[in-house]
Amino acid sequence: MGNKQTIFTAKQLDTYQDCTFFTRKEILRLFYRYRDLAPQLVPLDYTSKPDVKIPYELIGSMPELKDNPFRQRIAEVFSADGEGNMTLDDFLDMFSVMSEMAPKDLKAYYAFKIYDFNNDNYICKSDLEKILNKLTRHELTPEEVCLVCEKVIDEADLDNDGKLSLDDFQHMIIRAPDFLSTFHIRI
Amino acid sequence: MSYHYNEGFETDDDEYHHLDTLEIDRSRPSQKFSVLSENPYGSDENYSNVRQRRMDYPEVISMASVQPASARIQHAPEHTALYREPYNGGFSNLGFENENERDFVDKPSFISHSQDRYSDSFSAGGDGNSKGSIRSLSQKQMYHSTLPFNLISTEHDIVMERVNKEEKYALIKKLTAMSNRERNKAIKKLPLVLREKQEIRNTVQLMVKKESKTWATQTGCCADCLKNTTVSFRRFKETLSEIKQALQLWQKTLKVIGGKFGTSILSYFIFLRWLLAFNIFSFIINFSFITIPQFVDLRPNNLSFTGLELLTGSGYFQETVLYYGFYTNSTIRKDDNFAPYNMQLAYIFIIGLYLVICFLILLYSIAKSFRDNFINPVMYSGSATKLLCSWDFNITHEKAVKLAQQHMSTHIKEDLSEKQEKLVLTSCQQTVHFLIHLTVWIVTTGMAVGCCAAVYYLSESRKELLVNATSDIESQRESLLQPAVISLINLIMPFVFSLFELIEKFNSPKHQIYTIIFRNVILKLSIIGVLCQYWFQTIASGTKCWESFIGQDIYRLVVFDFIFCLLGSFVGEFLRRIIGTRCCKTLGKPEFDIARNVLDLIYAQTLAWIGIYFSPLLPLIQIIKLFILFYVKKESLRMNCLPPRKAWRASQMTTVFIFLLFFPSFIGVLVVIGVTVWRRTPSEECGPFQGLNVPFDAISNWIATITGEANLSWVVWIYDNLIKSELFFFLLTLLALIITYLYWQIIQGRKIMIKLLQEQIVNGGKDKMFLLQKLRKLQEMDGFNMSHSSVKQYKASDKMQENAQYSRDTDHHQGAQSGALALAMQARQQASAEEHEQHLEMNSHSALALALKARHQAEVELDDY
Repeated sequence: MGNKQTIFTAKQLDTYQDCTFFTRKEILRLFYRYRDLAPQLVPLDYTSKPDVKIPYELIGSMPELKDNPFRQRIAEVFSADGEGNMTLDDFLDMFSVMSEMAPKDLKAYYAFKIYDFNNDNYICKSDLEKILNKLTRHELTPEEVCLVCEKVIDEADLDNDGKLSLDDFQHMIIRAPDFLSTFHIRI
Repeated sequence: MSYHYNEGFETDDDEYHHLDTLEIDRSRPSQKFSVLSENPYGSDENYSNVRQRRMDYPEVISMASVQPASARIQHAPEHTALYREPYNGGFSNLGFENENERDFVDKPSFISHSQDRYSDSFSAGGDGNSKGSIRSLSQKQMYHSTLPFNLISTEHDIVMERVNKEEKYALIKKLTAMSNRERNKAIKKLPLVLREKQEIRNTVQLMVKKESKTWATQTGCCADCLKNTTVSFRRFKETLSEIKQALQLWQKTLKVIGGKFGTSILSYFIFLRWLLAFNIFSFIINFSFITIPQFVDLRPNNLSFTGLELLTGSGYFQETVLYYGFYTNSTIRKDDNFAPYNMQLAYIFIIGLYLVICFLILLYSIAKSFRDNFINPVMYSGSATKLLCSWDFNITHEKAVKLAQQHMSTHIKEDLSEKQEKLVLTSCQQTVHFLIHLTVWIVTTGMAVGCCAAVYYLSESRKELLVNATSDIESQRESLLQPAVISLINLIMPFVFSLFELIEKFNSPKHQIYTIIFRNVILKLSIIGVLCQYWFQTIASGTKCWESFIGQDIYRLVVFDFIFCLLGSFVGEFLRRIIGTRCCKTLGKPEFDIARNVLDLIYAQTLAWIGIYFSPLLPLIQIIKLFILFYVKKESLRMNCLPPRKAWRASQMTTVFIFLLFFPSFIGVLVVIGVTVWRRTPSEECGPFQGLNVPFDAISNWIATITGEANLSWVVWIYDNLIKSELFFFLLTLLALIITYLYWQIIQGRKIMIKLLQEQIVNGGKDKMFLLQKLRKLQEMDGFNMSHSSVKQYKASDKMQENAQYSRDTDHHQGAQSGALALAMQARQQASAEEHEQHLEMNSHSALALALKARHQAEVELDDY
């Protein structure tokens, strides 16, 4: 199959393979998925590394992401421009991290980034409120939200600074064995 | 100057921002130019060690190297707001303002610049003398002229870049030192953008090539050859993994199920697929090594086929390869060109081999899933994990997402209300609870015993009926009663047991689910135990060709279990849905009961494993059964069921289920087959072991025949010294016990260590809070002096943070504990000492000047570097 395809050079494919958790076939499959999002934008020849970005509106409409309450954050975190517009590299990166093969640490790191809405390297109370509202569709009263956030910080904050650092978060993830299987998007 | 600082320190967020910048600013001097940095702490060396070691963790490094880009965007507006106003008031250096503005406002372009710079410097092999440093030089000059203003804000960008660059360089060096495979793994794990990963990879490969070139010229073509082999081996492995993926059944269906119902239900289907793999493997080896040779020596089958046999397994099937009795005890030899095939040995070895492989796979799976899921000393049961780790990214179906969100909010509400009104039980209530539990336990155990007794007497009486039956058809019909009753018990009793839930009110859902599982397992396995007792006591002594008879019994049980499973899914799910949605709306759709369904699977698999000796092709039946079951359950799930409302700890329950499959199920099977092979006399007229005292004699006889042959002497030696010797097994057991004890002790030690380290982290946090408080006090006291000492204090607090983090990183590192603690104490003392100093040392201008000088010198050094 290496001979037939001319989308990537062999070297490119090798590089992609070394940098993601995918095999050749999967990379090609992902490329076609990517291209299907915007066939008029994405060329069939990637050997010259064209600078193509698919806007967030199209990325967010993928069936894998469409109904995910965190889809915008996911796209923002993985896109190079921070606004959800994705190059093929970003796209591969995203699904590599969300794949089955990715180790816990890597997943935890990106999960942390996804939950860190204001990009201040801490999950603070406002982030938690946003998470909670996304998870429950604004069904809780503000007092309840506040209570839950306090409880979460109280439980997971090891160094008592009132917000969750990456270390706190990773520490928590270790104790949640289901995380590895739930932080996973099948493609 | 002082004004800014005061502004900056007023809110928590700003404090942290400054803290970050200072940490990065300082990390350079303390690391490389410890002479330059005015170092009040004697333990700086220790600290830089810590820092160095932190560099060894790729995650930690890259976190620092990736984050700033986004962090800067976030902070840029703050800075402009903070700094511009006093700036305009005080100075009128227009050129600087432009620079400053540009750097802060045009952040995106700045970032892309800096990224370009990385790539440039890396493609040049990590050489720092590219255009990047020229640019930074000009910027630096500007910093010098306006140093007091952006001492903290802009300069740290530059320094940080350097730090990043250096970190990357260290990373690349480390990667170069790794072996090929490890390097690939490490690169994949880096939390970087793909492009940066590519750059790192390319640089590393270049460097590796450079290094290996010198080596290659020495070894010549050998290296080429080796390289080619590794490349082709890698390709081969890729193809293998692709084939493996292609072979994995139902990949797409599983995705759909996961998308609609979440991971917990998916775990049931994955378990089912796992069992299917066991059976397929068993079928393949049984078929190819036992059945195919038997085809060569086929006896004619005179029995007629009516169709009822599909249910009963007797009649026509009696004279087929399905059962033990059909296999011959002689060596099979088609013509003289082929070597003879010893059926006895093949039979015993293949089944033994399969059981050993199953044992190892099960052991491995249990160990792995225990390690992954049960290793934690303390579990977070609370809301933190629920909120942050429980969202199932698998779910892609709109309705499912809504449902999950609903469940989440009701859950949280329940949790909150529970916490608020946690009632304390009086001793009287506790006694009542205890009595209820006790009664229910007695009743359920009694029911299980009753069921077992019923099965036993039914089997006994049926035997007489079978003997007295006049016609073949009649006896076949009679034989259906027993499996039907057993399957009915298995179908109904779990529902009855779950009714007891209403009486027993369990405090925790975990408690409840384990109790129910335990009761069901007791019931199902004791029924199988009773059956085995009946087979060995009654059937094995008085029946002609008893192995085939048992095989038929098991066949019927497997088939009936399948039928009742389908029935259960029809009654329990389909009819229940009709009732729930049409007649009694309050009931609603039923939930998919994962525990019950998985226990059914375990029961069926136990039967199939026992049957493998008596009926070598039983795995085929099991394969068909599981295959159909998969689709039936999938459809039933899609049409009738809702995902379980309660949070289902999928991975922990999977561990429990694998454990149940291992013990008692698989161990029980081993016991049953062991008894058959070592203790029971095989029937005299049929089967591969006819005429022997016990089946195991086949092996002893074989050993006796090969004892004389020189090239097989090792087999005889193994048999004599290992398999037959009690001493060997005694020593083996002893060794296993010793190792277990040692590990147990190590675990105890680790637990204590973890506790201590946790306490230490808490203390570290307290120390930090203490220092921050001190700092705030000082700010109120004196504005300007503070700017000098705060740097020091921050250093102190930072140091403790680092230490705390370091000790967290290396949970097992014993030395860290005392070191970190000592350092924290020292830092605290230093901080209070500093406070005293503050009053004496009023000429802090000179201190500031000194700091600036040091910084300046550091810059120069950096350039030289």
